[in-house]
Amino acid sequence: MRRLLGLLVIVLFITLFALVIASGGLGYEVPPLRVRELARQFLIYAYNPFNTTFTAKSPEAVTSIVWDFRGLDTLFETLVFYLAIIGALSLYRGVESERRTEVISLGLSPIVKTVTKVTTGIIIAVAASIALHGHLTPGGGFQGGATAAVAPLLILIVFSKYFLENLGLRKNVLLALRSIGLLGIGMTAFSALIVGLMANSPAYVFQNQPKPDAPVGLPAYIGDSLISGTLWFFNFFEMFAVAAGFTVIFLLLGIPEGEILKQLKEEAEEH
Amino acid sequence: MVEASVIVLGIMALFALSSTIATYLAITERSLVKAVLYSAVQSTLYALIYYLLMAPDIVLVYVPVSVGLYPAIILMLIKKTEKEEEG
Repeated sequence: MRRLLGLLVIVLFITLFALVIASGGLGYEVPPLRVRELARQFLIYAYNPFNTTFTAKSPEAVTSIVWDFRGLDTLFETLVFYLAIIGALSLYRGVESERRTEVISLGLSPIVKTVTKVTTGIIIAVAASIALHGHLTPGGGFQGGATAAVAPLLILIVFSKYFLENLGLRKNVLLALRSIGLLGIGMTAFSALIVGLMANSPAYVFQNQPKPDAPVGLPAYIGDSLISGTLWFFNFFEMFAVAAGFTVIFLLLGIPEGEILKQLKEEAEEH
Repeated sequence: MVEASVIVLGIMALFALSSTIATYLAITERSLVKAVLYSAVQSTLYALIYYLLMAPDIVLVYVPVSVGLYPAIILMLIKKTEKEEEG
């Protein structure tokens, strides 16, 4: 009863507040009716074949902002995610999960297992299309990686953790995959600078297309396919870093609680 | 005849109000499993709002994280602790 009363108060408050704002209580119209100047600039410069020294060469405005105009922001976002994973790993330090080869009897019923076998393939395909087409259509590395991480999660819950580990997705393998992803992001950030050093011409870190004072840059096209210079590589490596990072956490959370307590007790007795 | 943009804004307002209700229910719920489900409902409504706000990039990351990964992690953690919140 008290819960219902609280709900009623909240709904009434929001409705009245929205009414005040909608009738011009702030002194101006919300949402604004025209495209703002900054957004217009971004839309013009995202893909601009007529101004080749000031464009990201990607028709997707969000990806060009995220990995080109505001590339450093995204790099540090990736680092925050990296630190979160490191924190979780340090909580589970020293905990070794046992190996099991007999895994057929574990997990849910054969019906669920068969459905999961089909959907896992579909999820991976969708994730790859989101990440690798991130510079052309909505999506990108983080989106694709988060979608790809759902597939090992389904396998972990439906088949069991030991099945996932027998597939080769063990903790150290995933950590190596994630490190390769992060290394790739770092290498891509420095790629234009390395090309510039070899060609003896000025270049910037995080440079994508040629700039007026730095004529080197990464090719926007490979053959007839648009790859938007660095954007495709950033999305590709980010997908691996994010998907492997999430899967490591699931593997650690999937260790049965009894096993962890047993190992911790053994460790305490040793000291 | 009502304009299409007004209808879209109305649907968005309805989703936003429903998501607030789901959030309130999630906070006050004693059973932790039910609270996670309410939270997932709120996330789904947010994903729909993002779609109507023409932010497909956010929808693509919000759907797997908020409907798939986040409830799964929280449910795994609840399994390691207690199902009910203590008074």
